[in-house]
Amino acid sequence: MAKDPLVMAKDPLVMAKDPLVMAKDPLVMAKDPLSEAGFYFDEVDKLRVLEPEVSQKTSELKDECKEFVDKIGQFQKIVGGLIELVDELAKEAETEKMMAIGARNLLKSVAKQRESQQQQLHALITEKKTQLERYRIEYEALSKVESEQNEFIDQFILQK
Amino acid sequence: VRTKININTRGELVSCVGWTTADELYSCSEDHQILNWNLPTSETSIVVKLPDDLYPVDLHWFPKTVGGKKQAQAELFVLTSTDGKFHLVSKAGRIEKSVEAHKGAVLAARWNYDGSALITAGEDGQIKIWSKSGMLRSTLASHGSAVYSVAWGPDSDRILYTLGRQLVVKPLQPSSKVIQWKAHDGVVLKVDWNSVNDLILSGGQDCKYKVWDSYGRLLHSSSSHDYPVTSLSWAPDGEVFAVGSFNTLRLCDKTGWSYALEKPNTGSVFSLAWSADSTQLAGACGNGHVIFAHVVEQHWEWKNFIITLTKRRTMQVRNVMNDAVDVLEFRDRVIKSSLAYGHLVVATSLQCYVYKNWNTPLIFDLKEGTVSLILQAEKHFLLLDGAGLYIFSYEGRLISSPKFPGLRADILNAQGISLSNDTIAIRDKSDEKVILLFDTLTGKPCGDGKHLTHKLEVVEIALDQSGPSNDRKIALIDKNRDLYLTSVRHIGREPKICKIGKTLRGDLFVNHGVTIIWNDAANILCGIQDNQLTVWYYPSIIFTDKELLQKTLLTKDSSDFSRAPHILSFVGTLVTLRRGDGSLVYSNVLPYPALLHEYSASARWEDALRLCRFAKDQSLWACLAGMAMANRELNTAEMAYLPRVQYIKFIKELPSKESSLAHMLMFSGQVQEAEATLLQAGLIYQAIQVNIDLFNWERALELAVKHKTHVDTVLAYREKFLQRFGRMEMNKRFLQYSEGVEVNWEKIQAKIEVELSKEREKAANVSVRTSLATRR
Repeated sequence: MAKDPLVMAKDPLVMAKDPLVMAKDPLVMAKDPLSEAGFYFDEVDKLRVLEPEVSQKTSELKDECKEFVDKIGQFQKIVGGLIELVDELAKEAETEKMMAIGARNLLKSVAKQRESQQQQLHALITEKKTQLERYRIEYEALSKVESEQNEFIDQFILQK
Repeated sequence: VRTKININTRGELVSCVGWTTADELYSCSEDHQILNWNLPTSETSIVVKLPDDLYPVDLHWFPKTVGGKKQAQAELFVLTSTDGKFHLVSKAGRIEKSVEAHKGAVLAARWNYDGSALITAGEDGQIKIWSKSGMLRSTLASHGSAVYSVAWGPDSDRILYTLGRQLVVKPLQPSSKVIQWKAHDGVVLKVDWNSVNDLILSGGQDCKYKVWDSYGRLLHSSSSHDYPVTSLSWAPDGEVFAVGSFNTLRLCDKTGWSYALEKPNTGSVFSLAWSADSTQLAGACGNGHVIFAHVVEQHWEWKNFIITLTKRRTMQVRNVMNDAVDVLEFRDRVIKSSLAYGHLVVATSLQCYVYKNWNTPLIFDLKEGTVSLILQAEKHFLLLDGAGLYIFSYEGRLISSPKFPGLRADILNAQGISLSNDTIAIRDKSDEKVILLFDTLTGKPCGDGKHLTHKLEVVEIALDQSGPSNDRKIALIDKNRDLYLTSVRHIGREPKICKIGKTLRGDLFVNHGVTIIWNDAANILCGIQDNQLTVWYYPSIIFTDKELLQKTLLTKDSSDFSRAPHILSFVGTLVTLRRGDGSLVYSNVLPYPALLHEYSASARWEDALRLCRFAKDQSLWACLAGMAMANRELNTAEMAYLPRVQYIKFIKELPSKESSLAHMLMFSGQVQEAEATLLQAGLIYQAIQVNIDLFNWERALELAVKHKTHVDTVLAYREKFLQRFGRMEMNKRFLQYSEGVEVNWEKIQAKIEVELSKEREKAANVSVRTSLATRR
């Protein structure tokens, strides 16, 4: 459909040559004095300076030109819409692409994030472990004190 | 102990923070703003917008108080920037003065403790000293590489700075010796030096932090972190410090072990600052946060009570005997607290609370907010703040406030001061050989006003807690780590300073944690000596009978005491110690010595003797002997000394070496070893006799039967023993043997004589042989 106006656009040019060709013909015949003087009668017998055929062709040409301009205008509108649409699509594609890239990067960084989180948790675990070890030592020391005290109590009771 | 963290965001990378009061913080960030953070109202306001070309690096507030006096000068701080300038900025944010100081960024700036000088360090490797008003005084050092951090020494007479991987301590006196040492495997990024405990802290790109003493000796090195240590800071009271790294905040004890680790989402922590009361911490973070941390969950234990600081203003008291829980609420932030002698003393930022029971505290207002130390004695307690020291009774009455020239209340710590019911002892900072003594009740110097002077620098002091005031003794440790004891209340002549032991090895932990402590109820001293826990049951014996001192010691050997421990408390019979790695360990002491002290104090000598007989402990007899002599109680002293004197005489008269060795072992209570020694030497009779003397009948008979000799001797003695107590033989084995053996005392005596002469002969032979051998 888009091509048609172009094809049609050529036609008027081709046709535009024809009146010139035809304009030569009366000159070739050159019998009618009126014609020789350059006056003509049209179908309704009105006096004309232009050959009726030419004038007819001219008006035809004019009509066709008008039609052509209209079609071109229409074409432009359609093409404009299309371009807009494509632009929009391009924009959308671009954002999608960026999003994809972002997502991909995010995915990559998740692994790293995990790693750092893991590292953090490990650090916290080590901290807790050392604290646990401290408590264990404290517990042992207290157990020892308890057993010593029990021993003392036993001895005390036995000796009494 | 751990930190409670609060994160606040505002804008871009925060480069530095500084407290004005305990409730107000200033922070500077890369977006050229100085912000004021008000904590109670949690409001943040922009103080000033700096010029666009000024990128702040470091800030330090002008010291507020100097030796207890408020500074007259308006509040201002120094702000350094990347363009090589430092600026003196007022509290309102007006730049009073800008000084061109270095080429490249000024990386650090610090006021000294009295605010009379400012030191700056720059990327150009120079260190410069400036006057208070910003006039250049001198260029102290100039190096090829950047100096990242700088700190003042406790007396503002030395500075510490980083130089690549090294640390440098440089005195301001040009001729004095510079100490320089390699500290880290990476570039050192931050240093700090505490004025109270005189310890140095460093952190670097090798991801470690280290604690040093001021001579550059390593006391602690942390394990490697995941990221370089970007900031660290001592709490002003010198008890804890904070370390900052990427997404990391750590709270550590002064000995280096870590109390708590937090992993806030902050980016790198570029700068840390403690509030003056050592309870709050602020950090400048790389991602634009300012973090605030409060120290909570401290514990205090005394007998059956455990107290925990659960929130900033709330304490929980737990009675472990019945699991009863009390909650104590305070109006203000808790700054310091102490629990001993049945009283809890809590200092908040404005008031002091004294609890005897948990319902009705006694409350009084404090003059100055920041209490840095609370010490308790049985009858009263001592508060130390920036301005001075005050003695209060538990009824909240101010008793006295000792003053002396050169008092630096801001740098006194628990090792430099000791309190008892009637005397206060303070280590003199200006002359460390001198110990200042004050009367608690009047606040005046003790006695004739003369202070105690030792021949060496004193590092630790401890006053005994009980007994009459004219008998007050002080234990002190000098630079050589020798432990001495002397009397503080003397009339007329100079008291003797007697050495009673050597404590912890000298290479480590000088100025570093308590290593001697007196019992809270009796004058029993506990200390750490050669990796052993040593208890001096009666240290005063040194004044009456030096020889007996070693006999009154109890030593406990354990791997628990080997790793640089210090003593936290000695309450009742329980000693609490903290190991170098932070774990608590406990040790038990028998209750007898304390009882003995009590009897001696109330002159109940009969009871004391009975106790010693009951406990059958050599060290108790030695203590009793000493106490009796000190109190001129000769009858008791005779009883305490007597058996020993006779016994020693007896040992001296023994014919052979083996038997005297055996009896020496007996003397120190090692019966089995003594018997084994005799049997080894073939002295069967003597071994049997030893058991008879100990009324160890069965063993004596067993030996006699086994060696088929002297069965009759054993039976004869047994019979005599039973006769004296008017009892019949009940032991089956004795009944069995007595049937076949007739007891004839004359024969037995003869046999014994034979044995003894045999032994004498043998001993003579041995000595002849040895003399022959030596002649050859």
